[in-house]
Amino acid sequence: LFKGLVGGKTLTLDDMAPSLEKLKDHLIGKNVASDVAGKICDSVGAKLNGKVLGTFQTVSSTVKAALEESLLTLLRPRRQVDVLREALEAKRQGRPFIVTFCGVNGVGKSTNLAKICFWLIENDMRVLIAACDTFRAGAVEQLRTHVRHLNALHPPKNGKAFVELYEKGYGKDAAGVAAEAISFAKDSRQDIVLVDTAGRMQDNAPLMRSLAKLIRVNNPDLVLFVGEALVGNEAVDQLVKFNTNLADFSDESNPHLIDGIVLTKFDTIDDKVGAAVSMAYITGQPIVFVGTGQTYTDLRSLDSEAVVSALMN
Amino acid sequence: MVLAELGRKITTALRSLNNATVINEEVLNAMLKEICSALLEADVNVRLVKKLRENVRGAIDFDEMAAGVNKRRMIQTTVFQELVKLVDPGVKAYQPVKAKPNVIMFVGLQGSGKTTTCTKLAYHYMKKGWKTCLVCADTFRAGAYDQLKQNATKARIPFYGSYTEIDPVIIAQDGVEMFRKENFEIIIVDTSGRHKQEDSLFEEMLQVSNAVDPDNIIFVMDATIGQACESQARAFKEKVDVGSVIITKLDGHAKGGGALSAVAATQSPVIFIGTGEHIDDLEPFKTKPFISKLLGMGDIEGLVEK
Ligand SMILES: Nc1nc2c(ncn2[C@@H]2O[C@H](COP(=O)(O)OP(=O)(O)OP(=O)(O)O)[C@@H](O)[C@H]2O)c(=O)[nH]1
Ligand SMILES: Nc1nc2c(ncn2[C@@H]2O[C@H](COP(=O)(O)OP(=O)(O)OP(=O)(O)O)[C@@H](O)[C@H]2O)c(=O)[nH]1
Ligand SMILES: [Mg+2]
Ligand SMILES: [Mg+2]
Repeated sequence: LFKGLVGGKTLTLDDMAPSLEKLKDHLIGKNVASDVAGKICDSVGAKLNGKVLGTFQTVSSTVKAALEESLLTLLRPRRQVDVLREALEAKRQGRPFIVTFCGVNGVGKSTNLAKICFWLIENDMRVLIAACDTFRAGAVEQLRTHVRHLNALHPPKNGKAFVELYEKGYGKDAAGVAAEAISFAKDSRQDIVLVDTAGRMQDNAPLMRSLAKLIRVNNPDLVLFVGEALVGNEAVDQLVKFNTNLADFSDESNPHLIDGIVLTKFDTIDDKVGAAVSMAYITGQPIVFVGTGQTYTDLRSLDSEAVVSALMN
Repeated sequence: MVLAELGRKITTALRSLNNATVINEEVLNAMLKEICSALLEADVNVRLVKKLRENVRGAIDFDEMAAGVNKRRMIQTTVFQELVKLVDPGVKAYQPVKAKPNVIMFVGLQGSGKTTTCTKLAYHYMKKGWKTCLVCADTFRAGAYDQLKQNATKARIPFYGSYTEIDPVIIAQDGVEMFRKENFEIIIVDTSGRHKQEDSLFEEMLQVSNAVDPDNIIFVMDATIGQACESQARAFKEKVDVGSVIITKLDGHAKGGGALSAVAATQSPVIFIGTGEHIDDLEPFKTKPFISKLLGMGDIEGLVEK
């Protein structure tokens, strides 16, 4: 009847190894990066090592509960990024709040920038979108289309459009376009500047250098890394290298690194939600927004409990 | 892709057999563990990895094995054959035929690189002397037509699309019909990004496919994708007749093992890989040479024929 139940026993790493191994594989199956899954399970083992099991607890249920707890702690933001509040604070100081979006190619930077813009104007903010992807074909027209749609949804109040586009076409230096956009926003008293940037591979040194320059020159309030929930083990390398490149190419003692994450395409992955864990683990930064579709209202905040329960089942 | 690093890990694991004094269950399991974790780190689908492990375990029975059988060789051959299965669906890719219209439709998840790769592929054929054109049947993504138009214009490839028509089925049909009449040989149809969770998008894909009756449907997959690839790829295949795969964004650090699961899921070969954002960053992909390169060992390649 009590088979498998061990009471009053001291847990050792050897006891836990099979359970931890199984949970690690389970996490990998849920699309947590292998390396991250391994480290999380190791830390659970280390935490439980030497603890005494309760009378009716099994090794596997104890390990599982501890893992669940660790995952929750990991995903619950230690630091809240409250864009609206911070933007209002900047406004009181008489300057626009500046947000830069960056990430690898095709993850959803421009689309989620547009969704965030929609949310901001719903909150009565006036937004300038800076078209600093001056490379990819159609990037400027993509933003122009969004601006047109957004203004149609929110007709101008007091004769002033809620959102405007600042663009200088293609081929220009992105840092320069951003600088011009920011000074334009100051002059025209806009509340927020959303800076769209071109997608780039984390290994592409010239492109990473130019992103670091854009951030160094323009000193945004918030640097958001956009990553898609579809990404596998690459999540780790992307985030590590974006941060190291921002540090290495910034020649400042206190470089501006990634402040937060936008996790996109969350609607395409069913229960394979592991990328959220990989990203949070690597950066230690909060997942500020979650993209859940292709329309303006498909923007959420992270539901840590739901993510953990999808991970564990 | 998956290659260099993974190949190195696998060969090291296989070589561990050579160093072992006796080949037994334990040695085999240790080697399999190493290979499987290398595959998982490269994003290869967990189910495929598990199957690989089981198949190798099933093929090697130490008790039954006759004395004198070269166990090392047998294990290496089995592992190799299983790896081959990952990349080789065993079917030939569609080959366009000269002097007739070949309609090629692109499908895939959002942002995987369809539009960029459409122009790359058109350019590839154009350079080889084919009469090539592009049709933009993406009316959903903001700026999609501008994107294709700018790419096509730069490459001097004729294109068709519309700023006013909102039905991609109509655009696809009209564009393909027009280019068929004008005797184009390679007619490439770009479509919107979509995912299996949204039925209406999948239904639209089927309608576009029915309207243009493509000779080949190419599923475009991003090399950075993880474990979600397999079920998406399978869903695409169930809806339309995917015949080939292109893996994009292999110019970065990504190993592309997740995208490879699209091969098994669609039973379709990889025909090209994308290695950058520029129009000529496209490389033909040949399964067999890829495999022999995979392990970087000429003598291993001989094993597969046996
Ligand atoms: N299903 C789904 N699709 C999304 C989501 N966010 C963005 N997309 C789609 O992903 C595709 C790429 O989005 P973009 O915003 O152009 O991506 P990007 O990162 O700006 O791309 P580049 O600028 O080319 O690097 C588009 O088809 C978007 O509609 C999301 O949350 N869910
Ligand atoms: N580095 C790199 N970037 C690529 C490659 N192929 C495409 N891209 C980039 O990936 C991003 C998305 O490419 P698109 O061609 O717009 O993707 P799509 O599948 O048409 O996107 P949707 O139509 O929104 O579904 C763009 O920034 C492209 O420049 C590649 O092989 N390497
Ligand atoms: Mg963009
Ligand atoms: Mg496209």
